[in-house]
Amino acid sequence: MLLQLNNIFKWVNSGGQRIFLLKDINLQVEEGEFISIMGPSGSGKSTLLNVIGMLDTFDEGTYDFLHESVHSLKEKHRANLYKEYIGFVFQSYHLLDDLTVKENLEMPLLYKKFKGSERKAIVADMLDRFNIVGKKDLFPTQLSGGQQQLVGVARALIANPKLILADEPTGNLNSQQSEEIMELFKKLNEEDGVTIIQVTHSEQNAAYGSRIINLLDGRKVEI
Amino acid sequence: MFKNYFKIAWRSLSKNKSFTILNIVGLTVAFAAAILLGMAAIFELSYDRFHKNLDTTHLVYTTIQTTKGAKASTSHPVPFAPALKAEVPGVDKITRFLEDGSLISYNEKVIDIDVVWVDSDFFSLFSFPVLSGNNVQPLNEDRSLVITKEAATRVFGKTDVSGETVLLLVGGEEVPFKISSVLDDIPANSSIEFEVAVNYMHHPTYTDNIDTWNSNNHQIFVQLQEDLSANEFENRTHDFSNSHYKESIDDAKRDGALPDASDQYHQISLVPLKDIAFVNYTNGKAQIDRSLPYVILGIALLLICIACINFINMSVAKNTRRLSEIGMRKTLGAGRKHVFFQFWSESVLIFLSTIVTGTLLSFLLLDKFKELFRTAASFENTFSPAIYIIALVGFLAITLIAGGYPAVLLSKIGTLQALKGKLKTKGGNQLRNVLMVVQFAIAILFISGTFVLWGQLEFMRTKDLGFNKEHVISFPINGKKNSYTAVELLRSELAGNPDILGVTASDNNLGVGKDGNASTSRLGFDHKNRSVSTNMLVVDYDYPEILDLEMVEGRSFKRGYAADSLSIVINEAMALELEEENPVNKHIIMGDSTKYTIIGILKNYHFSKLNKAIEPISLFMNDDWDLYYAYVKISPTNLSQSFDKVKEAWTKVEPEATFMGSFLDENIDRTFRREKAMITIITSGAIIAILLSCIGLLAISLLVVNQRTKEIGIRKVVGAGIRSLTFLLAKDFVKLVLIAFVVIVPIAWYAASTWLETYTYRMNLSVWLFAAAGLLAIFIALITISTGTIKAALQDPVKSLRTE
Repeated sequence: MLLQLNNIFKWVNSGGQRIFLLKDINLQVEEGEFISIMGPSGSGKSTLLNVIGMLDTFDEGTYDFLHESVHSLKEKHRANLYKEYIGFVFQSYHLLDDLTVKENLEMPLLYKKFKGSERKAIVADMLDRFNIVGKKDLFPTQLSGGQQQLVGVARALIANPKLILADEPTGNLNSQQSEEIMELFKKLNEEDGVTIIQVTHSEQNAAYGSRIINLLDGRKVEI
Repeated sequence: MFKNYFKIAWRSLSKNKSFTILNIVGLTVAFAAAILLGMAAIFELSYDRFHKNLDTTHLVYTTIQTTKGAKASTSHPVPFAPALKAEVPGVDKITRFLEDGSLISYNEKVIDIDVVWVDSDFFSLFSFPVLSGNNVQPLNEDRSLVITKEAATRVFGKTDVSGETVLLLVGGEEVPFKISSVLDDIPANSSIEFEVAVNYMHHPTYTDNIDTWNSNNHQIFVQLQEDLSANEFENRTHDFSNSHYKESIDDAKRDGALPDASDQYHQISLVPLKDIAFVNYTNGKAQIDRSLPYVILGIALLLICIACINFINMSVAKNTRRLSEIGMRKTLGAGRKHVFFQFWSESVLIFLSTIVTGTLLSFLLLDKFKELFRTAASFENTFSPAIYIIALVGFLAITLIAGGYPAVLLSKIGTLQALKGKLKTKGGNQLRNVLMVVQFAIAILFISGTFVLWGQLEFMRTKDLGFNKEHVISFPINGKKNSYTAVELLRSELAGNPDILGVTASDNNLGVGKDGNASTSRLGFDHKNRSVSTNMLVVDYDYPEILDLEMVEGRSFKRGYAADSLSIVINEAMALELEEENPVNKHIIMGDSTKYTIIGILKNYHFSKLNKAIEPISLFMNDDWDLYYAYVKISPTNLSQSFDKVKEAWTKVEPEATFMGSFLDENIDRTFRREKAMITIITSGAIIAILLSCIGLLAISLLVVNQRTKEIGIRKVVGAGIRSLTFLLAKDFVKLVLIAFVVIVPIAWYAASTWLETYTYRMNLSVWLFAAAGLLAIFIALITISTGTIKAALQDPVKSLRTE
């Protein structure tokens, strides 16, 4: 078992009222799963993803990640945990504009203190795997959206995470580009055994996954 | 890793070109100005520090208790120095020191020269490096003379002149002197300056005054024995003073003067050599005042402070655009320290490049700076290893604070918050506002300082001094002829010229002439069993008339009155001092029981600088006493032509002397050198402060306008006009300037009034002066932000709404 959420609540106080963002979420994720989170705008999809990714905190409940109780960890340990095991993919790619493709890929390795030669090898391998060797010295603004997201996924994978969290990874892409990215996810999931949790609006994209979680007003619902 | 930081920093900086350039320009200017000002200050503080016996050497001064309080004097009688050494234990070396101007001649070449008359200990007491010749006791031999390298070049055209014989004009006679040694140039930071040094025993007044205790004309420097404190020595001198000055002490007691704390009426005290460049004597005590160099240093620091505020504000504002980058880095595993180093490395890059460009700029501007600020500071004479280390530490501290603060601020932001690109701007803006208030407060302080200084200078320049300063030329009588003969010759030379209204002379100048000399002569005597003291001035005929001094009573000196050599003309202050009802025709007995008759009373006029109240003065006319300055009054038409005529005439009278004439108003101006130096410093500080503040304001206003594009668009759609929008955007900044104004005015007011208190005659400090400074600051601020705000207000709302 990779992670387990038990009775997760998250709320904000607004005008004396407590507004629930997440309400009693229970979720168990096994290694090698490909999960899609769906739901209308404001249903708490991204919040849930951020909670899983430990970028956001919750107010009540317990969260175990690889048998560590995340809720009782200190900020620093939590950060170490997600740095080690989780890769993020964003709708707006969030590549660093000042860096070339190669340098964007290299960056997570820098923070993990890999040696120079090792970094080069890993980056070269990744460029090769994603067929973007020819683009390695280009800056993100010189790439199409699909290519940028490809780099985004490559970057998320570079440190060899167990889990990839993708927040509407195809939201800014056209259908063809979407399909390519989804195929890539599927391949990663099936061939490399990477666990993937994605947030999506599209039924089509959700169909790539092995399980769908529906959210409505912060609550898990069955359809 | 570091390479990576700097690579990314470089790219980010080159992407934000306008901010980078604004930052670089601002910091470069600030660093250059700070380096130059710092040099000037360090140079000032380094005065006289090159002497080896710095700690044991002192200047001697005496404090005399009078009925009007304690009075200090650095002038001593001829027997004082030998007696002090003989009678008071603890004196290691002692020298008399009398500065004078004279003429030196060699092979028919005659040159004006600054002479010091000193004892043979002078050169072992002070550390003036000897180039060639006798370097132990150069003044021991009879008729020996020490010359500086510079003066030797002037006289001989070469420096290898030991053993040569020159003629020096001593008491009207040319006396041969043999050059015993040549000195290297006197360091620029020396209080003691001279071109030629001669043994004191050759001074014309030496033999006459060898036992005279009541005629003072020279300073005395003393080197105490090691481990003897100045204080201890001062206490040891009580018996010495009480025996040698018994008479004047008795007089003081009789007049009712009060003794000082240690029950002395006549106290000998010491000023350490390291302090003599900063000494002034108030209430009979030597006060050491180093405030000018520290003010300069303070200005330098304030300028750096302003530039750093700019830097902090700009980098915080600029980098909030890079929040998502920070968030991204954090999700990719960057820790706080990584984010910190990333942003800090950008700052380090900017600071490193600006310290280089700033130093280069200061190199380029050094000559102009030296000219403008009348300082001899240079990189060689100010930068010592210690200063380098202090500068380095300071630089690192600045980099750490100004560069580190924004980096810390950004690295603290939570990951998710950063990813969403939102910053809780409340705290950040407050700090920004506080910093901008500080910045403008400094700017307003400088502006009002400039105004006050200008105001006081103008006040002093335009004040009616009680004499005609516009149409009178004065110049030193610097030839070989007897002064009375010279003046008579000048009179006849200029006679018949309708533009020349008269010629006279006196033994002192008004203001400071081109020769740069200023002196005072004072005289004390008993009148009606009371000690009275007065300034004394020896004059030639027509002195009051030529200077347009107003006679209140009686007459001035007249030709044909044989007894006028025993007559005196006094001013109103002197009449008051004498406590006589009708002073005219009253007699007073001075010094060697000569009886003088008061023949006239002059209306008070400002014969000394305006920071002093008008003192008593008595005018004498006695051709036993030499005249030193000639005065020529010319008619208001053809001023420059007449000036040339006077010059021509003087060259005829004294062909070998240089004519150093100038109008009295120029002379008065010269006495304001200190004020003018202050004005230059404060004004340039103000200009740079304003310039830097504007750079910061410009950057911030552009950013704020950028941030508020959407708001502006919405307001426009709802119907806001351009004027109201401009007002809306400008309002916030003007508010900051106003707060700065309110905060700083009391401080500026206090500083200005404290400074003005040093002047007896001073301008009225008005609120309007400060209001003007504030208005000027607001005006400049408005102009600076207008570019950004008006452009924003004119923007097409559809476009600005879409960009969000």
